Amino acid sequence: MTTAEGVLSGMKERFPVALLKWEQPRADRLYFTVKREEIQPVTDYLFNTLHARLMMSIGTDKTPIDGNYEVSYMYSLDHQNLIILVKELVPSTDPTVPSVTNIVPGANWHEREVYDLLGVKADGHPDPRRLVVSDDWPEDVFPLRKEVPYNFKPPIVREVKPPLREPNENEKRATILSIGPFFPTLEEAAYFRLFVEGEQIVGSDYRGFFAHRGIEKLTDTVLDYNQIPFMAERICGICGFVHSACYCMAVEQAAGIEVPPRAKYIRSIMMELERVHSHLLWLGLAGHYLGFDTVLMQSWRIREPVMWLVEEITGNRKTYGLNLPGGVRRDLTPELCDKTLKTLEKMEKETHELVDAAVEDHTLKMRLENVGRLSPEDARQICVVGPTARGSGVDIDTRKDHPYFAFPELKFKSALQQGCDIWARTLIRAEETFTSFDLIRQMIAILPPGELMAQVGNIPPWREGIGAAEAPRGECAHYIQTGLNNRPYRWRVRASTYPQLQAVPRMLEGMQVADFPIIVGSIDPCFSCTERVITVDRRTKKRRIYTRKDLLAMSRQKNQGMR
Amino acid sequence: MTSVAVGVFNIVFVLLAAPLFDGVMRQVKARIHSRRGPSILQTYFDLGKLMVKEDQLAVNNFIFSVTPIICLGSVLLAALFVPMGGVVPLGFAGDTLVLVYVLTMGPICLCLGGMASGSPYAYVGVNREIMMLMVVEPVMAISLIASAIKAHSLMLADCIRQPLTGAPSFSLAICAVAFFLALQSVLAKVPFDLPEAEQEIMEGPLIEYSGRKLAMLKWSFYCKQIVLLTLFMEWFVPWPAVGSLPLRIVLTLVKVLAGAVLVEVIAQVFPRLKIAQSMRYFVSVIAVALTGLMLAVMGL
Amino acid sequence: MISKIKEALICLRAGRVTFRYPLAPKPAPKRFRGRPTIDGSKCLGCGACAAVCPPRLISMHDQDGRRTVELNYSRCTYCARCQEICPVGAMTCTEDFELATNNRENLSVAVELETVPCRDCSAPFMTQRMLKKMIDEFRPPWMEKMLQTPEWFWLCPDCRLNSTGLNMERNIKNE
Repeated sequence: MTTAEGVLSGMKERFPVALLKWEQPRADRLYFTVKREEIQPVTDYLFNTLHARLMMSIGTDKTPIDGNYEVSYMYSLDHQNLIILVKELVPSTDPTVPSVTNIVPGANWHEREVYDLLGVKADGHPDPRRLVVSDDWPEDVFPLRKEVPYNFKPPIVREVKPPLREPNENEKRATILSIGPFFPTLEEAAYFRLFVEGEQIVGSDYRGFFAHRGIEKLTDTVLDYNQIPFMAERICGICGFVHSACYCMAVEQAAGIEVPPRAKYIRSIMMELERVHSHLLWLGLAGHYLGFDTVLMQSWRIREPVMWLVEEITGNRKTYGLNLPGGVRRDLTPELCDKTLKTLEKMEKETHELVDAAVEDHTLKMRLENVGRLSPEDARQICVVGPTARGSGVDIDTRKDHPYFAFPELKFKSALQQGCDIWARTLIRAEETFTSFDLIRQMIAILPPGELMAQVGNIPPWREGIGAAEAPRGECAHYIQTGLNNRPYRWRVRASTYPQLQAVPRMLEGMQVADFPIIVGSIDPCFSCTERVITVDRRTKKRRIYTRKDLLAMSRQKNQGMR
Repeated sequence: MTSVAVGVFNIVFVLLAAPLFDGVMRQVKARIHSRRGPSILQTYFDLGKLMVKEDQLAVNNFIFSVTPIICLGSVLLAALFVPMGGVVPLGFAGDTLVLVYVLTMGPICLCLGGMASGSPYAYVGVNREIMMLMVVEPVMAISLIASAIKAHSLMLADCIRQPLTGAPSFSLAICAVAFFLALQSVLAKVPFDLPEAEQEIMEGPLIEYSGRKLAMLKWSFYCKQIVLLTLFMEWFVPWPAVGSLPLRIVLTLVKVLAGAVLVEVIAQVFPRLKIAQSMRYFVSVIAVALTGLMLAVMGL
Repeated sequence: MISKIKEALICLRAGRVTFRYPLAPKPAPKRFRGRPTIDGSKCLGCGACAAVCPPRLISMHDQDGRRTVELNYSRCTYCARCQEICPVGAMTCTEDFELATNNRENLSVAVELETVPCRDCSAPFMTQRMLKKMIDEFRPPWMEKMLQTPEWFWLCPDCRLNSTGLNMERNIKNE
């Protein structure tokens, strides 16, 4: 039984020299600092021996404080309710670390991001291309370093080339089909390049992060603790509340703030309401990608009452603005509770009808079964989360594994399927919607009385906090490191779609072009979550001019022949 | 004289009323979607808007510029062949086969235009269009030939009179079913609308068209809808038979409207099928049509 | 086939659910967080809203004996933090959400308040209204006995500190 003591003693035993420091600020958190040369054996121990799951990696610039960069890897021991943070100190004179991607394939994007934003290179990374910063960003400017101002404007570059890889051996004969940078089906900015032979996909590549706007840099520089929740909830237009709640969870852990029980319950109720609306939205989108607009219209019609409900509770349909570190701003009065129960009753009936009709639909099943397969082994290696993981038989659910807010006191069952295809994920999302209805009813019945907001004093510096919650798409994790003068030093967001997008190439292998939109749609992608969008735009949006023929004929200049 | 009048009526009617029928279909779609939907006249406004929008001139190619006109022209030519109220405007011996060829000109034009545009999305769409054409055209051809065999003549006028005068026949019923199933694909409606106007590959062959050319292409699609539905109704569902010509025309239009509604309802309760699945489906429909043909040869 | 009929029935039973907005009005529900506005008759010029606004859209600056509090809600996130923090209820969020305009000037609200200059260094340090509020509402009991407010009321914080320091020095020297 791997408990915190077990892990601690295991680490001390195996890495007596490499382990420089350890602390256990809470029962479910372990922070280690290791020598960077030994990071690979430590990673191997955690990932392969203890079967931990990589949550995220964080790169922090502590050079003004102690001359080092900090690169941390966060692991989760799901069945033991333990989050482990492994930190390595990197001197600013030699900003490299050994790469762990060969041990944990899911660390691929994390290490590329740390290089793009902080400038710490991962030696031995199999695919060191640019990931996060835009194509015209200069090579030697690393935005998250403290010496770069938050409103830095790089010089204009005329000829840009997205960092897409060359075709490998079995893709050389294939046609290249580029879908993007404006992705037509999802109507988002994402650039997929498919290598196709006829209708069959033999390989794929992805260039994303068009919506990356650098909110983490804003946090370090101009925002304070009470302003960040409002930015966090704008990271995503569907799961925004989870982000702001997760951030507040991280700050409350770092500062040792005890949130009143009523606020915890209100937060959990809103999170489940968000899950209901998100899954119904996804069901509609899945229908839309298949050309089945009727499912889109009907499921969104069924979803609309929950949007009206939250508008009455919080003052807005989506950006609830409820969270502040320490509690919530508005109360869930008894009238609102009654209204919630009535709305949910009607919605549950209609959702049952729709789901029953959809499950029995033979043509729908024909399009979704055996499409977009992700084997359980791949799911574990790439560290996917949420319905994508549960559809492949990996039993992880943050509400059960790292219970937070009201969830330790609630009874529910996680949906789990073994099918590994899109049909399995559809069934999981349907089941989760009904579980959410039940959870909301449980919570309203036992809603504790009391205050809504705890007293929050000064927040001590150099504390670390980790918040993890189950967003509709999977686990969403936030990391905060507090700094001097009541200001955060580093905020790192790892949205749920981040590992999922890394799994998409595996899902696309051997599938047809017609399946492509629904496969990407089945992970319920939230590109803005992954790329961390802000609404405050101080610069005008630059329009990129690609000189490729595909797709952008519309934006080409009108040439000769004007009549 | 009546045939000339009916011919003129056909062309004028098809051109002017096609957007109206499309508007009705959009209202049916909206009703199934539980929303109010656009007004029935909306398609006129959309086409009008496209006509005055500037042409992006994205592709400087003769074939690209000429295919919309040929497409519209071929559909109007087919309208001249299609019987209306039992009268075939341009009837001559062997015109059944000519009708089949003229109807195929539309998709071929679309393929040519798509390939001339040079976009990879258009290539994928054209690919699918040709594959669908290979399995759907035989169904239509076989059904029409079976009916011609029953009428012992290749003249359209004789073929459409046959069900009214002769005894009820199994083969025609089976062929009618097969033709109706093929209609869903020829009209480019879900579940078989892979090639044309598909959001996945951004409208496929139509992707580079804009302005007036796009308006003409879209208009030709709407006209094709009416032409084919009229053909189906006149040929396989000629009942009830009434005396005067204007009354027969009105009856046909009512049947065409009912057919349009049915096609749209089917389109809204199915997801889009992939190309392999569609082809498999239509191979079995060809088998059904062949059964009808055999029964027709045997005299049933 | 049965499932198709079931699906069609679900659709038709729902009727038409779309609203006619914008051809017919559809107001927001109560407590909707809409356009913020400042009530100039209540505003104290304290600057709490400026400190709290997440997109930093409220600005406050002093010039020529006036303090201008300007709210530019062109990029407002409608979080209602300003409303929550305002001590006098001058900053409120209305329920308006139809704010499209083609003139950016329409998206600004400004309040100008007269400031009080420091007796010693003439720098403006507080608005008249806030000072008056302090005198009227927060006057301690002992001040009623006096004919006028004490000297240090009319000094800016820096000069107040200096004056207190000088007083202490004088007291020490006199002992």
